[in-house]
Amino acid sequence: MGRVVPTSSQKAAAEKLCNSISKMKGVEAETVERTSGTNARWTVSVVCESENWRNLAEKLNNTHSVDYCSMITGIHWPDGPDEKKWEVIYHFLRTGVKNPSSVDGVLQPIVTDPNGVKGVDVPLEIEVSIRIPDTRTPSVASVQDIWVGADWNEKETWDLVGIDFDGHVGMRRVLQPHETPTGYHPLQRHHNLRYHGFEEMYDDAQGFGRKPDDIGKVK
Amino acid sequence: MAEMWISMGPQHPMTHGLWTLKIKVDGETVVDTVPDLGYIHRGVEKICETRDFTQITTYCDRLCYASANTWSHSYIYAAEDLLGVEVPERAEYIRLIAVELQRIASHLMWMGAYGPDTGNLSVMVWCLREREMMMDLLQELGGSRMHYNFPRIGGVKRDLPHGFVQRARSKLHLFLQRIQEYEALFDESTVFLVRTQGVGYAKPEEMVNHGVSGPNLRAGGVNYDVRWAHPYSVYSELDWEPPVERSSIKGADCYDRYRVRVEEMRVSALLVLQAMEKLPGGPDTYHEPGDPKLLAKAPSRAPEGTSGYHHFEDSRGESMFYIAGGGEGRGKNPYRVSIRSPMFITIPYASKCMIGYKVADIPAIMGSFDPCIGETDR
Repeated sequence: MGRVVPTSSQKAAAEKLCNSISKMKGVEAETVERTSGTNARWTVSVVCESENWRNLAEKLNNTHSVDYCSMITGIHWPDGPDEKKWEVIYHFLRTGVKNPSSVDGVLQPIVTDPNGVKGVDVPLEIEVSIRIPDTRTPSVASVQDIWVGADWNEKETWDLVGIDFDGHVGMRRVLQPHETPTGYHPLQRHHNLRYHGFEEMYDDAQGFGRKPDDIGKVK
Repeated sequence: MAEMWISMGPQHPMTHGLWTLKIKVDGETVVDTVPDLGYIHRGVEKICETRDFTQITTYCDRLCYASANTWSHSYIYAAEDLLGVEVPERAEYIRLIAVELQRIASHLMWMGAYGPDTGNLSVMVWCLREREMMMDLLQELGGSRMHYNFPRIGGVKRDLPHGFVQRARSKLHLFLQRIQEYEALFDESTVFLVRTQGVGYAKPEEMVNHGVSGPNLRAGGVNYDVRWAHPYSVYSELDWEPPVERSSIKGADCYDRYRVRVEEMRVSALLVLQAMEKLPGGPDTYHEPGDPKLLAKAPSRAPEGTSGYHHFEDSRGESMFYIAGGGEGRGKNPYRVSIRSPMFITIPYASKCMIGYKVADIPAIMGSFDPCIGETDR
């Protein structure tokens, strides 16, 4: 029973990765114990300065076999401290997936035993946070060429949050219409939903008194 | 011959939803593709910023019309990580039952849609017949047919109803027999084999680099599965193996992706049967809703500076929620909710897979990746 990756090897792998990358310039890493349901799991949480991000990304991919970019989240913190008005959070997974080899032209599937994974094959969750000071044109370096999976995530982050990625090829609107006005990114905090609670909604269910938040402003 | 661009969609049977695939063709051969998404973008992430943690569950149900339960569970695990809630064991077993039943229903929906894609219309009716059984079971849990709103932060809405275990057991045994009928219908259809074998090759390492996971990845001969790699729930207590397909050396083709989903339905059915055997407290006890054995107490506010996330094995790959606490109402609402949709990342990859094949292969290749536009556009 229990064919899942044991917490002990997850913890050891997280600490190893953490020790290795916290020696890099501008990188602070720590292991974090998180709970999911009844399980505890060990993850790595990294805070990186934006000028060192490309170095860290290459090191993660080359040395530590972090092969899977799960998600990129952009956050707008207009009320945050000066050094963190914008934040980009990357979530990576280390999957340890290799192409199966073939014997006499017949492919041999790789069936990993979760209890026996070692070294850089131990699956791991890595969270990298990059803080950006107050600016009207926030941007960080793109990692589209390292993880192709980051490509559409970066497009989405720019489309919705307005954080640009230096070196990204083919940036365009993906979720919003192509004719969306330049500079309109709905997840920035100064854009509000018209309805905020039920009371407001039920008092004017037909929407006769509804007015856009930006009424009278020139786009 | 001159190359030209053609739009497939937004209304096209190949799309399984509402999006456009722009293809550049040279004669009948596809030389370039550009997917264009966002037709049903509803702004769920923005709406979530103005709702409290309990209300968001219903929005997550509506992310995917074929697999509502996996999405609400995906959110609930992230919210529990954020709020620091430990879930009672019985509730975890019931959640596992709900999620795995939903996975079967979702795969049946996929199979029902893939039959017509490849010229096998009768499969659709057969699959929807069995999906009805799964939806009846899920309806007993959640109360509605599609959007169940079943999990709660800290547990589940209600216990398994009286007689659920017996009904589920007989339906799953019947279902396990009927899988063989689908296999016969697909595997002995020459049209299906010709249209799916040898098209749409995808290699595991390339898929991982492109962010493709779940059944599509396991079709390539590796057993990576979030359920064991980043363990959550009570999968560690059950005896199971993710299905792995022996693909060809060129990678997984459409036929492998079909095979792996059939096997995955079997594994899910066996997981549900096992979980019902091992249910703590036994199948005959019934706890009232809100009982501490079903629902742990959870705080309703998350202070500023906290965050939670969780990787979850959805029916289509790895889904994920990231939640930052400290929004309006002194942390009653989340500050930011970010959703990772597996299909949003897989559709661009599937479009790349088509390059070099004929236009007639596009429905077979696209359908084999199981696109769902509700979750893609959010």
